[in-house]
Amino acid sequence: MGLTVTYSEQELTAALKAKDDQAFSYLYDHYSGSLYSIILQIVKSPEVANDILQEVFVSIWRKIESYDPIKGRLFTWMLNISRNASIDMLRSKNYQNNQKNQEITDNVYGINQVTQTNIDSIGLSKFLGKLRPEQRVLIELAYFKGYTHDEIAQLEGIPLGTVKTRIRSALLQLREFLK
Amino acid sequence: MNVQDYILSGIVESYVLGLSSPEESAEFERMCAAHSEVLAARNAFEIELEKGFQEQKLEPPRELKSRIFSEIGKEKSPITQSPLAKPSLIPRIGFARYVAAASLILLAGSVLLNFYLLSQYKKTIAKNEELIAAQTQVADNNKVLQTKMLRYENAISLMQNPLMAVVKMPGVPKSPAPSSLATVYWNTQSKDVYLLINKLPAPKPDKQYQLWAIVDGKPVDAGVFDMAEGISFVKLKTIPKAEAFAITLEKKGGSSKPDMEAMYVMGKVTG
Repeated sequence: MGLTVTYSEQELTAALKAKDDQAFSYLYDHYSGSLYSIILQIVKSPEVANDILQEVFVSIWRKIESYDPIKGRLFTWMLNISRNASIDMLRSKNYQNNQKNQEITDNVYGINQVTQTNIDSIGLSKFLGKLRPEQRVLIELAYFKGYTHDEIAQLEGIPLGTVKTRIRSALLQLREFLK
Repeated sequence: MNVQDYILSGIVESYVLGLSSPEESAEFERMCAAHSEVLAARNAFEIELEKGFQEQKLEPPRELKSRIFSEIGKEKSPITQSPLAKPSLIPRIGFARYVAAASLILLAGSVLLNFYLLSQYKKTIAKNEELIAAQTQVADNNKVLQTKMLRYENAISLMQNPLMAVVKMPGVPKSPAPSSLATVYWNTQSKDVYLLINKLPAPKPDKQYQLWAIVDGKPVDAGVFDMAEGISFVKLKTIPKAEAFAITLEKKGGSSKPDMEAMYVMGKVTG
């Protein structure tokens, strides 16, 4: 066994389900960067993102049994775990308190501005700027903040149907940018 | 909406990114199973997304990997070391000993309490299961009673119907069971035939009773029937015209001509 082992998606899933260390190491090397990027885009703080990435990989290890390839690819599954963990963190009391403190310090030293721009230049966030403002807000709320369509409709004072169609058409545009 | 429009509606992206509602997701999964085009569209977007993210990777700090692996290592051997495993760590100082002794007593107490609570918990679970079983039993009985009631209600409404001609069929002299009795309820308007079995011996498993309508002196098949428990009307074939009805025992599934030797009951239509 050399260092250049590669796996097909099926092999990787099977090896992970068998709790194979080497497969898990491969998974980490291969995907941690992508998952770290989505986590960072949601929580913005690298320190918090580190903790969440750790939590995400531990829960991938624990929950790999429940991964069902019929419902989607392994990466999609992991991406959703990462997004959910990040949004859970956003909503935790602890994080919100820290955030307030952080904002005060950042405003004093003007750091916030810097990190913000860095993060905005990666991943999906990079393309958000290309959307029309009313669409951007909805994607931000729905995807990066985890609000349900119902909550967004109330928050923004627009009908639920409109929320749904705007989000869907924004996603289609984002996909075009992704290409 | 046709499949192509469905694919282009943005549902693929919504679902993959985890933005669809539970109902939409369930529907999408059904569509994926039913239409290979939908599945292919989902797969294509998933691959695009994965590629997009791979191009936008951000390397996490190096030490994170070993941190995660040591965390997972703990998961693999969940036997955590108990504080009792290293008694040498308790300093030989009087006060610390008391503290250690006290904490041991507390620990022992807490273990006992845990056992007590666990056994209570198990008892409660068992009790709960018993109750659930009893409840299911009651519900089942209720269902059986309801079905019976419904059958009786139907029977009574048939008997009440003023359009019904009632043809009593007592056992014929040569009947294998002369005390047999069955009654035909014949709707004079719709010509539907219902049979009430008052008394008939249970047939052998390879045999079945068959009702015959006697039309112009000739037997016409009116259908085979099985014996049911309790009061029960069996709806048989519609007979437009008949002078009499009779029941014979035939091979299972019925015969085209009655076995006259095995005629149990017969009754003439009056009026």
